[in-house]
Amino acid sequence: MVNSPTETPVSTDRAVQIRNVNFSYGSKQVLHDVTLDIPANQVTAFIGPSGCGKSTLIRCINRINDRIPAAKVTSGSIHVHGIDIHREDINLHELRRRVGMVFQKYNPFAKSIYENVVYGLRIAGVKKRSELDEAAEKALTNAALWNEVKDRLHTSAFGLSGGQQQRLCIARVIATEPDIVLMDEPCAALDPLATLKIEELINELKKKFTIVIVTHNMSQATRCSDRTAFMYLGKLIEYGDTMQIFENPGNSQTEAYITGAFG
Amino acid sequence: MSNQHIFQEMDLSMNALREKVQLMASLTAQNMKNAMRALVSRDIDLARIVIGDDSEVDELEVKIDQLGMDILIRFHPMASDLRAVITAMKTAHNLERISDHAVNIAKRAKKICKSQSSIEVNMVEPLFAMAEQILNDALRAYKDGDSDLGEGLHAADEQLDKAYKKVSASLSSGLENPGTNAENILHLIFVARSIERMGDLAVNIGEDSVFLSKARDIRHEQRKAQS
Repeated sequence: MVNSPTETPVSTDRAVQIRNVNFSYGSKQVLHDVTLDIPANQVTAFIGPSGCGKSTLIRCINRINDRIPAAKVTSGSIHVHGIDIHREDINLHELRRRVGMVFQKYNPFAKSIYENVVYGLRIAGVKKRSELDEAAEKALTNAALWNEVKDRLHTSAFGLSGGQQQRLCIARVIATEPDIVLMDEPCAALDPLATLKIEELINELKKKFTIVIVTHNMSQATRCSDRTAFMYLGKLIEYGDTMQIFENPGNSQTEAYITGAFG
Repeated sequence: MSNQHIFQEMDLSMNALREKVQLMASLTAQNMKNAMRALVSRDIDLARIVIGDDSEVDELEVKIDQLGMDILIRFHPMASDLRAVITAMKTAHNLERISDHAVNIAKRAKKICKSQSSIEVNMVEPLFAMAEQILNDALRAYKDGDSDLGEGLHAADEQLDKAYKKVSASLSSGLENPGTNAENILHLIFVARSIERMGDLAVNIGEDSVFLSKARDIRHEQRKAQS
């Protein structure tokens, strides 16, 4: 992840450490002094009303916000597996390979199913056919899609259903073997059954990856996350075990939000 | 917790659930009181009323369960709302069983009334007063969200258990006395047993009121502490 070999990744059960992060889009500050640890191999859900900063926060973890002019972390730090991601010698391609992202609207490329999955590997320079084949099968199997597409790998990805396209996007992310998968409302555009398949997939994926999910669906947070963070107006209001948050939140704002009294 | 949700239909349903539990609690407490009055005043008609009124309590339990299920399905309640629904359903179950015990007492009262011999029913009256107080406190704890009151019922129940053992032993020893109506004494032993069980069920309601207001499960805590 870093260009210089001086710092090797620290093995830690905290996949991400966010410390006192403030973030602004130009003059508009949208994150205020956010501090939390995201544990490895667990699913951490971010909930909160629209505009509370949850998507902005997870997009800080792979620095995808850097693409937005004037958007920046103004203070604080984010470490991924012990490495400060704002170090000058950080390799952004490698950071984003290790911290993959799945978006709200499934976005397969205008390519075949196979080419979608191996896209990241080709970018990384993998050329050997057998290696690509093996990686594609592994990623599609892990994304619970292999049995549905194994006979039409070289047909267009657009021929898949919405749920299958989203699982293909997940396969594309995990083909590069990231440590962390960020999911920004991954089921927002899917029907209930496709949503359940993704949630089941998330439960499986956490054995191998650290999952961070932004969701507006609180039932989804309860079904598939181990820890939940409630954000409001750019602040982290409460963070804890999902069952504790939804059974007995410690903060009255969290209680009001999850019981539907917020407004 | 009332009238606070953005989706007002949820408030209406939650309020309806609470009102049904309150109604069921009133009917159960009344049945309990009437059963004892029927026994003490040898009032067969009142005993029949208790037995008849139990069906209303049964129906309310079914309605509360149905409404609770509807709320779970429609609104996916969380946190205090979820606890309110679960507690309402559990409280209804405990109230239904208390009313069943009132029916048991009424049935025994009818049998005792039909026999000509007199019996010392006043022996169970203090037990009843203790059980009634526990139920009243439990219902107040549930209604007001008074966790201290709910948690404090264990001590009162221990007193009731001790008193029950004494009364039960005394009645049992009476069986050996010549000339006693053994059947009536046995009826009274079962009445005492029902009163003691009413106390236990009322304590359950008190425990659930602690879960409702504090999200703390205090069931079996005493036994765990003792072991």
